[in-house]
Amino acid sequence: MEDDCLGTDDEFYTSDQEDDYSIEGLEESIDGLENDESDTQWIPPKGTTTKVITQESLLAAQKEDLRRVMDLLFLREHHARTLLIHHRWDVEKLFAVLVEKGRAFLFAEAGVTLVEHQDNEPLLPSSTIMCAICMEDVPSDEATKMDCGHCFCNSCWTEHFVVKINDGQSKRIRCMAHKCNAICDEAVVRNLVSKSHPNLAEKFDRFLLESYIEDNKRVKWCPSTPHCGNAIRVEDDLFCEIECSCGLQFCFRCSLQAHSPCSCLMWELWAKKCRDESETVNWITVHTKPCPKCHKPVEKNGGCNLVSCICGQAFCWLCGGATGRDHTWSSIAGHSCGRYKEDKEKNAERAKRDLYRYMHYHSRYKAHTDSIKLESKLKETIQEKVSLSESRESKNRDFSWVTNGLSRLFRSRRVLSYSYPFAFYMFGEELFKDQMTKEEREIKQNLFEDQQQQLEENVEKLSKYLEEPFEHYDEDKVLDVRMQVINLSVVTDKLCQKMYECIENDLLGSVQLGIHHNIAPYKSKGIEKASELSACWVNKVNTSDKDLPFHCGTNGGSTEPEHPSGSGSSYESGCSSRKRPRKEGPGGGFFDLNLPAEVVDRN
Amino acid sequence: MVDFARVQKELQECSRDIERSGIKVVPKSDGNLAHLVGTIPGPIGTPYEGGTFQIDIALPDAYPFEPPKMQFTTKVWHPNISSQSGAICLDILKDQWSPALTLKTALLSVQALLSAPQPDDPQDAVVAQQYLRDYQTFVGTARYWTESFAKTSSLGIDEKVKRLVEMGFPESRARSALETVGGDENLALENLCSG
Ligand SMILES: [Zn+2]
Ligand SMILES: [Zn+2]
Ligand SMILES: [Zn+2]
Ligand SMILES: [Zn+2]
Ligand SMILES: [Zn+2]
Ligand SMILES: [Zn+2]
Ligand SMILES: [Zn+2]
Repeated sequence: MEDDCLGTDDEFYTSDQEDDYSIEGLEESIDGLENDESDTQWIPPKGTTTKVITQESLLAAQKEDLRRVMDLLFLREHHARTLLIHHRWDVEKLFAVLVEKGRAFLFAEAGVTLVEHQDNEPLLPSSTIMCAICMEDVPSDEATKMDCGHCFCNSCWTEHFVVKINDGQSKRIRCMAHKCNAICDEAVVRNLVSKSHPNLAEKFDRFLLESYIEDNKRVKWCPSTPHCGNAIRVEDDLFCEIECSCGLQFCFRCSLQAHSPCSCLMWELWAKKCRDESETVNWITVHTKPCPKCHKPVEKNGGCNLVSCICGQAFCWLCGGATGRDHTWSSIAGHSCGRYKEDKEKNAERAKRDLYRYMHYHSRYKAHTDSIKLESKLKETIQEKVSLSESRESKNRDFSWVTNGLSRLFRSRRVLSYSYPFAFYMFGEELFKDQMTKEEREIKQNLFEDQQQQLEENVEKLSKYLEEPFEHYDEDKVLDVRMQVINLSVVTDKLCQKMYECIENDLLGSVQLGIHHNIAPYKSKGIEKASELSACWVNKVNTSDKDLPFHCGTNGGSTEPEHPSGSGSSYESGCSSRKRPRKEGPGGGFFDLNLPAEVVDRN
Repeated sequence: MVDFARVQKELQECSRDIERSGIKVVPKSDGNLAHLVGTIPGPIGTPYEGGTFQIDIALPDAYPFEPPKMQFTTKVWHPNISSQSGAICLDILKDQWSPALTLKTALLSVQALLSAPQPDDPQDAVVAQQYLRDYQTFVGTARYWTESFAKTSSLGIDEKVKRLVEMGFPESRARSALETVGGDENLALENLCSG
């Protein structure tokens, strides 16, 4: 079983096309290095802690946490679930409450009642009880006693459950007795409801299951549209960026696209600003007028309404008519359109200044995001170039530096492009106006822009070298390009790191409100790819646990073929059906970018 | 569908106990058990003493698994009851409702609310503020409202019965119709004509 699990993981690791963590790549590269490099920076890939939870593995993920609580407190599953739902699936917090306030408090607070069943003399089937809800005498075998000891007739219980489930309260259905805080046993709910409302019973199960995602701060739905059906669970830092197995990269905290080094708030503001850009464009059209002589658009750049075009023509801003240059605030000599007046110049000036500031940052941001798009195309042409080069007679047959350089280019380009909206807010007045003096701001801005500029230069250089037609170069020249690419890769990586240090320590770290602007840390290897949660574990459990509430194929509108959760073999096939065809890179193996150049050289 | 069998039983139980509790629940019009009128006496030792308060009760389809909707039709000056609409702010009529509660127990809780206002969770902010800042004035206003609105229906009731009898209705029916609607002559007339 263990081996199976590892095998499955392995498959998932290598299933992605530009995967630096590739286990296969590791083996091959180490072989190539003759296993003698122990002091490289290379960190072996231990299983990523971030997991993709699929429709199929959701149950397994939930069971993991349930099991921990059940084992520690010797509880039945539904009690463990009640406790966990109450504590929003935060096992650590639950254990902390247990230690600090004790078992009795923990249980009472969450509505768990454990009966010792000593008063539970079996009701005689022939006897009747009086149900306090419908006020009828009912045969005792048509009544149910909950863990808290309260007993009502089955049809009343059913009605109660139906109302609560329809009301969206599946996760915490309390006992019907007044002031009884006990949460009803989910097995009883399921059993009674399914008799008369099978659809509702399914809904109930889905609510319970999805509570693991919806009430859990460590788990979030992947924000892909159309939805890939996955959720992502992170272990340590909630401020992180994740790649789902569907390929979508997103910020775990705000579920928007990955935006580091922008904080979530900065990104939200920026995205909104960009959406309003059409207005901005309107503003520009409103704020330029064609010159009456040469017809070029002319901006109004002074306080008064006499504008002059670069062709030398002066004209009246208000009517657009050509005029002389002689004017006062209220009149232009020889011109009498009557509209020349001092208007709300102050506001307009300010708005214009703000707009130009925005345009400055936006144009750079956009230039880099556009480059990312162009460079994605580069990826394909570069594969061709590599294949061509490999087919040539040459000593040098390893072209992994090309793909690695390309990945580095993508990563640093990302950082660079998001560093512009970051700077827009960091040094603007919207967020940190009173957080630093004008002088401080200037010094910091210079420091940051210096780094930004260095990064920019090196990124452009890297891009340039990767675009060179090295497939036609002679060997020496190829070696030269290769050296440049490898060196520039190291440099841009370092510069990105430095920029993040600057942001975290000197910029956000120094302003008071900076604490509200946590950013996802720099990941040299790129945004972490969540690995699929191994579903093997659930097989083990399923075979021993017959009354599982959830059959993934029939719930949640899943389009996956049905995998009856009790069957191990079909579960396996469920796993493998999710695998995507493996794309082999040139030469089969990948190097990690952080391998020092000399190590790479020896190959 | 409202569980009418249970409502029927509740009404019987309530009328059996009327001498002790003073709480009355009757159908608003014949034949419709989903719309009822409750009556509670103002608690002794409060500004509501001596008044009789009418509460309109609407039962939702899922009753008793959903709480009954209750609203004062008698105007009342109280921090947790809207002086405008008669809406009641009481937890058991909302999320603390339990199917094990009954109309009678709910009305008893409303009566208890009259004795023990909870100004920190107000329905009527104006009244609540007065209650907290100027208790004496609050008591005065509440008493005045009791006098003006919660007693008129019993005063002169014979007068109204007489007038309805003159219109041609039997005395017993006229009296019970007036009782049902809390002494409002026009409503009683409507009831008599439709029933
Ligand atoms: Zn019952
Ligand atoms: Zn109970
Ligand atoms: Zn996804
Ligand atoms: Zn975010
Ligand atoms: Zn011109
Ligand atoms: Zn001028
Ligand atoms: Zn003009």
